[in-house]
Amino acid sequence: MPPAKKQPTFAQAFSELEELTQWFENEDVDLDEGLKKFERGLELADVCKKKLAEVENKVKTLKKKFED
Amino acid sequence: MLEEGRKILTVGDYLTLVNDSLALIPSESIVVVGEIVDHRVSQSKWINFDLKDEEKDAKISCFATVFKVKTPLEDGMRVQVVGYPKVYERFGKFSLNVEAVEPVGEGALAKAYALLKKKLEAEGLFAQDRKREIPRFPSRIGLITSSEAAAYGDFLRILNNRWGGVEVVHVPVHVQGQYAVGEILGAFEQLNALQERPEVIVLTRGGGSLEDLHAFNDEAVARAVFQSDVPVVVGVGHERDESLCDFVADVRASTPSNAAEIVVPDRREILRDVELSAQRMEDVLTMELERRERAVERAVSALGQFIELRMQDVRLTIERLSHAFDRFRLSLVATRQHIERNQEVISHAFLSVFERLKQGTASLIRLFESFDVQRVLERGYSIVRSGGSSVRDASKLATGQSLQIQLARGSVTSEVTDIES
Repeated sequence: MPPAKKQPTFAQAFSELEELTQWFENEDVDLDEGLKKFERGLELADVCKKKLAEVENKVKTLKKKFED
Repeated sequence: MLEEGRKILTVGDYLTLVNDSLALIPSESIVVVGEIVDHRVSQSKWINFDLKDEEKDAKISCFATVFKVKTPLEDGMRVQVVGYPKVYERFGKFSLNVEAVEPVGEGALAKAYALLKKKLEAEGLFAQDRKREIPRFPSRIGLITSSEAAAYGDFLRILNNRWGGVEVVHVPVHVQGQYAVGEILGAFEQLNALQERPEVIVLTRGGGSLEDLHAFNDEAVARAVFQSDVPVVVGVGHERDESLCDFVADVRASTPSNAAEIVVPDRREILRDVELSAQRMEDVLTMELERRERAVERAVSALGQFIELRMQDVRLTIERLSHAFDRFRLSLVATRQHIERNQEVISHAFLSVFERLKQGTASLIRLFESFDVQRVLERGYSIVRSGGSSVRDASKLATGQSLQIQLARGSVTSEVTDIES
């Protein structure tokens, strides 16, 4: 089941969040840009939290090819 | 009735009978030959291993103590054993109570294993630099193991504990026995050929003897792990178990549970990480805002102080100015009154002085004029005039011309009789 369009995967969201956090640690924080990035960061954190709330792992069992 | 014509014995009594019977075997004069598998020493005292028949599927479990058996033993060793057979009442387990062990060369399986390991290592199948990273957050995981094995349950249990939203594509295989190798090879092929390929493949099973692990030590399986396009995590048995697949794997897990710990992160840790990230961003921003706020405050207060100082200056100046002006105005008023009061006196005095000066001057002038001519006349000089103007040149006169002569006192009239020029 591919993720819905535009909605980032957990890995994408998390890595972007990490990049943003990094930016805040490294850059001389420009307030305007910082606010924009912070807003985006909150969005991503939200996406990550929602994904983290997924409890289920699905198991799909493949038929053995060599039995066919 | 069963007991009819039979002797009734308790379990303990029966085992005593069995052991008594076993004691009849002339153990002293027998050497049993086999290969050591599953060798382990517990609490540095008790030695347990299985003695395996090299041809037939048969084994005896053996027990010894380190006090009696000093020879270092290991799996795969071919040994001769002298011992007494016994059934341990407590466990109901038959074992050989070992009196002496003597190695008779490496066990065939272990030897084959060591040789294959060397070969694959030389080929670079174990090379560290070819090991691939597995994704941090896989969304699809291939799982090759037996559905019946504890490994399967352990793996999924830990996986579910740690992480969610993953699709596990399970290919059930035998992990030991004659079908194991073929099935595992097929599973690798199948998973690698999937349209939606997993991002990582986990090959796992519980622990076992070298014999049990044969499929994981199989050359073809080791090569399949090596050749898989998808990175492979191999987790076999307990910590101490090793297999050739372990060495080839991109990541080696010690147990099936450990494999699950390796392929997915713990959601609690990640959640904390996400929350910390958001918190950290907020902190940095807040700090930055506060820093600027303080800078603005400082600037405003400095400006305020500056303005306050200037205001004081201005106020003082204005005060001084207004005092000075008042004084000036008062003095102006006083001067005017003074002038008004004295105007008449002044003008009067001025006029009389002026009058006196005027009179003085006129008499002086007159005095000077008279004083000057008179003084000359007094000394005996006279002024000669003709027709009102004084005479200076004799040649200008004519005989008979009348002359008026002024003396110091009085004057006379005469006539020209002779001219000498």
